[in-house]
Amino acid sequence: MDHLAHVSNLRSSQSQTQISHLALDIGGSLIKLVYFCRYDDSCRDDGDELRSQNDSLCSKSDNNQPVLEGRLHFAKFETSKINDCLDFLRSMKLCLGGSHDGTAPPSDKIFIKATGGGAYKFADLFKEKLGVSLDKEDEMECLVTGANFLLKAVHQEAFTYLDGQKEFVQIDPNDLYPYLLVNIGSGVSMIKVDGDGKFERVSGTSLGGGTFWGLGRLLTKCKNFDELLELSHQGNNRIVDMLVGDIYGGTDYAKIGLSSTTIASSFGKAISDSKELEDYQPEDVSRSLLRMISNNIGQISYLNALRFGLKRIFFAGFFIRGHAYTMDTISVAVNFWSKGEAKAMFLRHEGFLGALGAFMSYEKQCLDGLMVHKMQQKFPISASSAGDNIYCSLSSNSDENGSIECTVYGT
Amino acid sequence: MDCLVAGANFLLKAIRHEAFTHMEGHKEFVQIDHNDLFPYLLVNVGSGVSIIKVDGDGKFQRVSGTNVGGGTYWGLGRLLTKCSSFDELLELSQRGDNSTIDMLVGDIYGGMDYSKIGLSASTIASSFGKAISDKKELEDYRPEDISLSLLRMISYNIGQISYLNALRFGLKRIFFGGFFIRGHAYTMDTISFAVQFWSKGEAQAMFLRHEGFLGALGAFMSYQKHGLDDLMVHHLVERFPMGAPYTGGRIHGPPLGDLNEKISWMEKFVQRGTEITAPVPMAPPGTTGLGGFEVPSSRGATLRPDASALNIGVLHLVPTLEVFPLLANPKMYEPNTIDLSDHKELEYWFTVLSEHLPDLVDKAVASEGGTDDAKRRGDAFARAFSAHLARLMEEPAAYGKLGLANLLELREECLREFQFHDAYRSIKQRENEASLAVLPDLLLELDHMDEEARLLTLIEGVLAANIFDWGSRACVDLYHKGTIIEIYRMSRNKMQRPWRVDDFDLFKERMLGSDGKKPKPHKRALLFVDNSGADVVLGMLPLARELLRRGTEVVLVANSLPALNDVTAMELPDIVAEAAKHCDILRRAAEAGGLLVDAMTNTVDGSEGNSSSVPLMVVENGCGSPCIDLRQVSSELAAAAKCADLVILEGMGRSLHTNFNALFKSEALKLAMVKNQRLAEKLIQGKIYDCVCRYEPAPAS
Repeated sequence: MDHLAHVSNLRSSQSQTQISHLALDIGGSLIKLVYFCRYDDSCRDDGDELRSQNDSLCSKSDNNQPVLEGRLHFAKFETSKINDCLDFLRSMKLCLGGSHDGTAPPSDKIFIKATGGGAYKFADLFKEKLGVSLDKEDEMECLVTGANFLLKAVHQEAFTYLDGQKEFVQIDPNDLYPYLLVNIGSGVSMIKVDGDGKFERVSGTSLGGGTFWGLGRLLTKCKNFDELLELSHQGNNRIVDMLVGDIYGGTDYAKIGLSSTTIASSFGKAISDSKELEDYQPEDVSRSLLRMISNNIGQISYLNALRFGLKRIFFAGFFIRGHAYTMDTISVAVNFWSKGEAKAMFLRHEGFLGALGAFMSYEKQCLDGLMVHKMQQKFPISASSAGDNIYCSLSSNSDENGSIECTVYGT
Repeated sequence: MDCLVAGANFLLKAIRHEAFTHMEGHKEFVQIDHNDLFPYLLVNVGSGVSIIKVDGDGKFQRVSGTNVGGGTYWGLGRLLTKCSSFDELLELSQRGDNSTIDMLVGDIYGGMDYSKIGLSASTIASSFGKAISDKKELEDYRPEDISLSLLRMISYNIGQISYLNALRFGLKRIFFGGFFIRGHAYTMDTISFAVQFWSKGEAQAMFLRHEGFLGALGAFMSYQKHGLDDLMVHHLVERFPMGAPYTGGRIHGPPLGDLNEKISWMEKFVQRGTEITAPVPMAPPGTTGLGGFEVPSSRGATLRPDASALNIGVLHLVPTLEVFPLLANPKMYEPNTIDLSDHKELEYWFTVLSEHLPDLVDKAVASEGGTDDAKRRGDAFARAFSAHLARLMEEPAAYGKLGLANLLELREECLREFQFHDAYRSIKQRENEASLAVLPDLLLELDHMDEEARLLTLIEGVLAANIFDWGSRACVDLYHKGTIIEIYRMSRNKMQRPWRVDDFDLFKERMLGSDGKKPKPHKRALLFVDNSGADVVLGMLPLARELLRRGTEVVLVANSLPALNDVTAMELPDIVAEAAKHCDILRRAAEAGGLLVDAMTNTVDGSEGNSSSVPLMVVENGCGSPCIDLRQVSSELAAAAKCADLVILEGMGRSLHTNFNALFKSEALKLAMVKNQRLAEKLIQGKIYDCVCRYEPAPAS
């Protein structure tokens, strides 16, 4: 992804809109942004137009709060290129959130909600470069809040993916809990969610997106994550992996339920003396790596779901990024180990749970006098199609700019 | 898979201290009660990982596995580091620092812990997560760091998946085996850490000493389905013969077969000096082991180890060994009184044995006539045993859980390995002769005493005569100062009751009764004898005679193989025969016990009625060590013990170093003089030459 293009694109397409209310999730590899853009200057009191635009029933807010209508936008930057992110923020004047309604606090007291480890690590940098303070929100809490919000409020947010078939799952918001949330960032966190704000990190693994990218870079010289993912499409992991068939001479080892194409040992064929790293196709290496990590995450997730008797496992985080093969492998792993009893589910806005959760946390503190209200339940938001970008498109990475149409009450 | 499980079941049941835990570099052996072995989780880490739930012999199910295993480590490692062997890759990891390549929680949180969810700053958040940096290429990372990062990633993952599976089936024990582990401390630590971390300390990872051989062993078992499956732990004796040179984790040169090769190899040791840290046992089947003792070699299982931090001995199958039937609680029984896992204790005994070594070598060489060949073997033995000791100092768990008894036995085994069958032969003979010469006078003296005085004198005599012990430094010094009789007399005169542990009055009451009531004599007494010479002739024989006189059958229990100057079961009949020449009681009893086959003496007074004496018998105990592990005794002894109601253990080795705390179903009397200052302090808060007379009545049944 070309960030400069991305940024300029944002700038041109949204220069007419007012941008306010930003939240950040600064992870080990990526910075995720969620920000709210109003349509025009539509700070309304009557709500009529809103109703017509949203195709959904909208009752006027109970206490005559002003309603902001607009979109939630999503963007991301590599953490190592944090300056791009700072430039972006500066250019968009995002950091002046709340100033438009005339109640801006003095500039030395501007806060931005932020989560992820980087919220601690880069707090000083933000202060120095942008003059804003990062208001740190707990990472897990944000993840869960974001996931709960998406699963309850966004229509067709969750889907299963098996054998190339994507199937949306309608979640009854009243029958959502408990579930297992697996967030695959640089590392992997597994969180048992029992309700709003009720959750526990039950497990995790260090074999995550960072491992895929890190090992992949060392092994293939790929320049970025997406290139590496792209490569894996064309690869054949049989060159590198030792399969059950390789050990048992091509016959299925059916006695213990393993087929001959089951991977017995990831990278197990690479122990051969006759081949060096240069002799392997980067495509094959990438494929093998992807399968190893996806499979492992699927397995550990299932074991944890089993442990707590959870039927639903939602996978999210930037490692997945709508990549078909990744989802397929995770699904197969869950399916295999659960003997078909559990299904892996994915979220369309997988990468932005933390940032979204941080954004939601404005509500708690009414920082800008804004409420991202519980209205989400009253106003289900349809799958967004902001501009030409359909977030849920699976095969491309044009989903960066996906946004959710939403309504925010101002006070 | 069948083979794996069969191998693991066999090892866990048949070999003592096969399993151990490994945390932060510290090994601890775990004794598994083989009646409470199942169910357990067996994790075999080969190229891939199989996770198997084992419910019993032949009852198991592969419940899980992972494709991230040893092959992944070696495969990825090869691609990333250009290492040419698995061992080299492992070796590298020991000098690595994974924080240069793994993304730690602290890296994300700017050095802070994420304490809210219990993650410390050093927790790995993402394996290889730092390698995403644009600035560094593969060549910029140290292979050491890459290897360590890989190792941690894979070990940690295996530990986690294993624990989750154990949890799923409610299994408490997880055993890890397979070539990936290879006794590699860091691998074991990482897996242990993962299991401990995820289970919050409730589960423990355990490892097997013979971990690399599960499959092979199982396959071996499968083609002799006759009888090996119901092998019991007491049938196997593990030995650690000197094999091939072992330095820096590698075996140099071929395994050493015959004695000559061993000797010349040990000579080369001199040049390499301190480099030599350890012997790796590599003996081909049929050599060394129990030496002259009968080993059915056709069924002997021999295991050959690779370079390993843990030494694996040769397993000798001795189907004639049994558990001593009079042990009150065989499962709880621990022979060793002193646990050498305390490093100070080990250091002390290391010094004792090292100092004693030159004297022992002299004796050994002399026993073989002092020839050049004997000298060469003597030197080789000294080096081999020193190497064993050095190895143990460096890695106390190298040979499994080590007690003093094992250490002393190791020395005897080492002597036998260099074909010193009986280093003290001539000394023993000389002392026996000298003692037998004064025996008639002693018996006469005893016969003039009344019953009570006689019993006390007899016990005093046993304790006094126990001073003759070539295993004790202090006593070796004494030998140079006087004759046997002088020492014996001096020693007996010094006997001052009360002894440090003094149950004599209890024993006397049992023997003689109180208030004129005569108690029933014992039916049969087992006398575990100790040293040759005065100890057995002037101490134990007169006591045996007293018991015989009271109508108690006496079984003298002696070593099967020589150990120091301990009397052996082979030598005892001659000694008894010689003593019987001077004593009618002994003669008739020995005849009744079949010890005097030619019965020449029968015609001397021709009194037929006297031949119906209770018998005096001799049995071998099945071992060749100054100590005795009562879990492994000869079937002869086990049979003889069936109707015994009194066990008398004599000497430091058998009643203090081992069995001091052993409980029996029968009455037990433990007699010894403590000839070691440290042991005296440690065991009885006493001092050197203090005496122990411990009497324990039979438990109420």
